[in-house]
Amino acid sequence: MRKWSFRHRGGDAGKTPPINNGIMTMTDAVQGEKYRIIKINGGYRLNSRLCAMGFIPNEIFYVSGASRGGPLCIVVKGTKFAIGRGMAERIQIREI
Amino acid sequence: MIGKEITIALSGNPNSGKTTIFNNLTGLRQHVGNYPGVTVEKKTGVIKYKGYRINVVDLPGIYSLTAYSLEEIVARNFIIDQKPDVVVDIVDSSNLERNLYLAVQLMELGAPLVLAFNMTDVAKKSGKKIDISFLSELFGIPIIETVGSRGLGSDELLEAVIKVVSSRKRKEKKVEVKYGEEVENEIGKIISVLKEEKVPVLKFDARWIAVKLLEQDRDVIDTIKKESGPEYSKIEDAVTGSINHITSILRDTPEIIIADGRYGFINGALMEAYKEVDPGKLDVSEKIDRVLTNRILGIPIFVLIIWLMFQFVFTLGKYPMGLIELGFEKLSVLITEIVPQGLISSLLVDGIIGGVGGVITFTPNIILLFFAIALLEDSGYMARAAFVMDRIMHKIGLHGKSFIPLIIGFGCTVPAYMGSRILENRRDRLVTMHINTFMSCGARLPVYILFAGAFFPAIAGNVIFSIYLIGVLMAVIMARVLRATRFRGESEPFVMELPSYRIPTLKGILIHTWERTWMYIKKAGTIILAISILMWMLFTFPMIGNNYSTDYKGQVNEVEQSYQSGEITERELDESIAVIEAKMAGERLANSAAGRIGRFLEPVFRPLGFDWKMVVATISGIAAKEVVVSTIGTLYSIQEANGQSNSLKTALYKNYHPLVGYNFMLFTLLYFPCMAGMVMFRKEAGTKEMLFQIGYTFLLAWAISFLVFQIGRLFI
Repeated sequence: MRKWSFRHRGGDAGKTPPINNGIMTMTDAVQGEKYRIIKINGGYRLNSRLCAMGFIPNEIFYVSGASRGGPLCIVVKGTKFAIGRGMAERIQIREI
Repeated sequence: MIGKEITIALSGNPNSGKTTIFNNLTGLRQHVGNYPGVTVEKKTGVIKYKGYRINVVDLPGIYSLTAYSLEEIVARNFIIDQKPDVVVDIVDSSNLERNLYLAVQLMELGAPLVLAFNMTDVAKKSGKKIDISFLSELFGIPIIETVGSRGLGSDELLEAVIKVVSSRKRKEKKVEVKYGEEVENEIGKIISVLKEEKVPVLKFDARWIAVKLLEQDRDVIDTIKKESGPEYSKIEDAVTGSINHITSILRDTPEIIIADGRYGFINGALMEAYKEVDPGKLDVSEKIDRVLTNRILGIPIFVLIIWLMFQFVFTLGKYPMGLIELGFEKLSVLITEIVPQGLISSLLVDGIIGGVGGVITFTPNIILLFFAIALLEDSGYMARAAFVMDRIMHKIGLHGKSFIPLIIGFGCTVPAYMGSRILENRRDRLVTMHINTFMSCGARLPVYILFAGAFFPAIAGNVIFSIYLIGVLMAVIMARVLRATRFRGESEPFVMELPSYRIPTLKGILIHTWERTWMYIKKAGTIILAISILMWMLFTFPMIGNNYSTDYKGQVNEVEQSYQSGEITERELDESIAVIEAKMAGERLANSAAGRIGRFLEPVFRPLGFDWKMVVATISGIAAKEVVVSTIGTLYSIQEANGQSNSLKTALYKNYHPLVGYNFMLFTLLYFPCMAGMVMFRKEAGTKEMLFQIGYTFLLAWAISFLVFQIGRLFI
């Protein structure tokens, strides 16, 4: 698990300060805001899978919800996906 | 006229409405089986249309033709190996871009294609405008609009299929997605290496293979490795070189670049042909999700829904069950009146009606349960349940998706084992399967209903619930134990679509329910019928003849004489005779094969408080859990054959202490589900895992029951 809980980040306590030119991982995304996917570091199989589901670099997505400490709800290409935190951490994103 | 026979395969993303289209096309003329060698479910149906005999094969729902999951490999291999005359790809029109991703891959594969743009009503309602004729021309593929939920477009679809088949001219030029200069160069290089090495690429197209190699598709790599033999290293070197080159220049790995190319192609096409009038509106699904997947409310709502499901299945199911029971009782009476008393009558009444009838009685429960599960699945809630449960499931070392087969396990463990396939990771899948047996299946419920009703009539519901709860608890404990021992390692990353909520179609749910109910009834008509007859034989033979230990006939004569001389009343006479006859029945049973087996094994089960009858019932439960009830029924109905009207429940209550009754329920819960389940387990996971499943559940059942009885008896 990472340093902060999602609830903390997702609340109105403020956003995570941008690191590395505003690049962060999907777990840092704040609910309701839109982001762009920069890079996916999943390995061949996982990358292919994610791409087929619409998670692809340059794609815009937003977080529509999350279960506490559990997976995130991501809307990408008009479809909603539940995505585990472990996986979300491997996806680099940036605010738009 | 006698028509031509053609085969069409339905493909499409999960939640694209593929199953609905399949149901519309085939109605109830469906056959559910498996793809050869693997356990992915294969649904087929036959339709006759305009003189054609059309075999419809429903391929598993997939997102792409990569080799990520078993479903994807199965679908791909079916198209490549079986060469269906037409592949009908079902596309969700309200989500064209992502759905066309699969369509484009099918085009790349060169499959003869018809696209069905499904749910066009939803797309139109949400303000999406699609220029279908433009897209059809661009792709060079017929596109048909369908609305599966209202049964629209099926005929048009079949027309298009027949047109493709009868025109017969294989397209020379198929749609080719270009991946940009860098990638194209590398594809060219790989193709020339493939040609140099003369890899037999018979059924494949060289370009397709080159793309798949760049994508590092494991299945294709293995095939090429096998086909090319020692020359494979050259191909491998070329592919590795290309991958490194692409990665260094384009700063992303080829599979991502290639996927990007496909989306680029799709977007290029959609740019011209697709307009979204009112984008980005918060839709109904989103509003529902705000509540159902709410961080605080999510789990309580989930628990509530499951509780409602239970109430629906068990409370509502009581009424039709009563009627069926009554029917079988009447039938037994009728048979006893018509058929002269003897072996045949005993076989019909005690063996067959007692066995099969007992199982059929629980059909209403099964129907309602599968109805409820289908409702949850088709409405889209099942995926939310997995989402809400993921964190908890993760804690016990499972996957959010594990939850789905586990909940199906409450219905029947056989489809639950099959449902475990949604878990891509073998470890996740095996752990889920190994604990699934503790999700008390519908077939065990009859045992609980009988025993809880016999020993705890006032609180039967709570007692049964406690058994279910213990099952869940055992599942949690064993999941952790298995995770820490035999199945250590990271679990598969979790991604899963949360489809838009939909009002399920009644037809879809009914077909779903019917399929599974039919499976259950078939089991009753085949395995259970055979076992009932076998059990009856075990109970009846060898016959004792006149070798009773005591002279019972003499005793009967004695009491009759005392009645005639007025020493006892008629009621006392009947009672005495009943007691004597029960003793005789007891001896007959003890003498039968079943009795001998039970007695032989009794010492093993004595520390659990079981007598030999319970042992016999337990053994019969290995064949199928619902048989436990019929076995006990047969056991006691033989004993009661001479007119004692006491029901089975009273007999149990008289014969056992409630602690033993409860313990028997526990044992029934814990030992592995049934033969059919084990056959499925073996198919899914191999013989070794099946033997492990049998061994550990049996030991666990014995150990837990031992503890409960030994500790419990201190208090009674």
